[in-house]
Amino acid sequence: MRIVLDSERCVGHGRCYSLAPDLFDADERGHCVVRVAEVPPAFESSARTGVTNCPERALRIEE
Amino acid sequence: MDLETEVGHAESNEVTDLAASADPRAIARDLRREPVMHVGDMFAIVTRRADVEAALRKPALYSSGAGAVDLGNARPLIPLQIDPPKHVKYRRILDPLFAPREVVDLEAHVVELVRKIVDRFAERGSCDLHAEFTVPLPCTVFLDLMGLPIEDLGLFLSMKDGIIRPEGDSMEAQAPGRRAAAQQIYEYFQAVINERRGKPGDDLLSRIMNSEVDGVRLSDEEILDVCFLFIIAGLDTVTDSLDCIFAHLAQHPDQRAELVKNPSLIPSAVEELLRWESPVPAVARVATEASEIGGCPIGAGEQVMLLLASANTDDDAHPGLDIVDLSRDPNPHLAFGGGIHRCLGSHLARLELRVALREFHLLIPEYSLPPGTVLEYTPGLRSLHHLPLTFGASA
Repeated sequence: MRIVLDSERCVGHGRCYSLAPDLFDADERGHCVVRVAEVPPAFESSARTGVTNCPERALRIEE
Repeated sequence: MDLETEVGHAESNEVTDLAASADPRAIARDLRREPVMHVGDMFAIVTRRADVEAALRKPALYSSGAGAVDLGNARPLIPLQIDPPKHVKYRRILDPLFAPREVVDLEAHVVELVRKIVDRFAERGSCDLHAEFTVPLPCTVFLDLMGLPIEDLGLFLSMKDGIIRPEGDSMEAQAPGRRAAAQQIYEYFQAVINERRGKPGDDLLSRIMNSEVDGVRLSDEEILDVCFLFIIAGLDTVTDSLDCIFAHLAQHPDQRAELVKNPSLIPSAVEELLRWESPVPAVARVATEASEIGGCPIGAGEQVMLLLASANTDDDAHPGLDIVDLSRDPNPHLAFGGGIHRCLGSHLARLELRVALREFHLLIPEYSLPPGTVLEYTPGLRSLHHLPLTFGASA
């Protein structure tokens, strides 16, 4: 599983890195940075939480 | 402090009635029968989640510029009323000052402040939570952040209310009061800027004064236009959110008990109650050219109100949004707006709301509205005139 970020759409709500800090981080402006190239199996549910809570739909999962 | 997002002051009964209602969900549900409700020729209310979201993402077509809402200001507010491409230049310097890694350092200070304020009335067994807690808390946080004296609290509140809630029944009647308050804001901050220039500190204002756009420091006018926005967007909105959230919890003892028992629920409860209450129920835009929303024509120059309160409870978009679920997941709500004008202060607002809920409930876990209380919500931004609470005096 991979997390794909559309950085044009991200405006820094910060829901992803608040809810799943193992997988997402914030840059200097508070915009999303995806921390992992590949989501470890144990973190798949966490990845979905981060992705589905984005109000801008800037994140998606690729399996 | 809160947001870049700001509600408009246009005269639409639909929007003001919704904001002032104790049950905005019911009004929003009716309005959502149509994707767009036109009020006269030049005013449109957008009601559905998908359309609100799409419009928020088209900041050039649906401009947040000075034409969208009159707040008594002489120049466009920065960054709310700045369109792309200039907008991002300001956000690049302001976003880092309000980013999560910045605001996290404020937590201990906010904790201390909440305890101090609650201590003033905890023994009494009753309070007006609005006047005694939800108003002073965000304003005091702001004064501290800006390095301004707490003695100016009263002045700040009167300047803020002079813009957001001036006396008068119509936009025309309110205009003189609003201009006077605006003038006062410009003069106050010009004096502070002059003083700060001589002896800068590590406060927010000094940091803004030291920022550069394209290698050039902000002019005094630009700094004033940022400060003006802080006053009207950063103080009232956290008060509104606290009023709405505590009023809800006072009337839903089961949910309040759940939070007291399990404080780890507080972050998701904050998100859910922001969604449910939508303290900033709408954001104003102006259409820069003719377009269509949800199949309805929008004229060039038409004012467009994006009804966040309705988008947030649109259960055609996401089933199950018509109930409160404090552990809701996912909860991709738009209470802080969306698109490039997403509330600048959202991370600070969240911190204040979480700390306020956690610390307040540690000191006062049980409270209720006195019998017969009728809560009156204010139109525009949803604060309460009063929020009377009674509780057992804390130990």
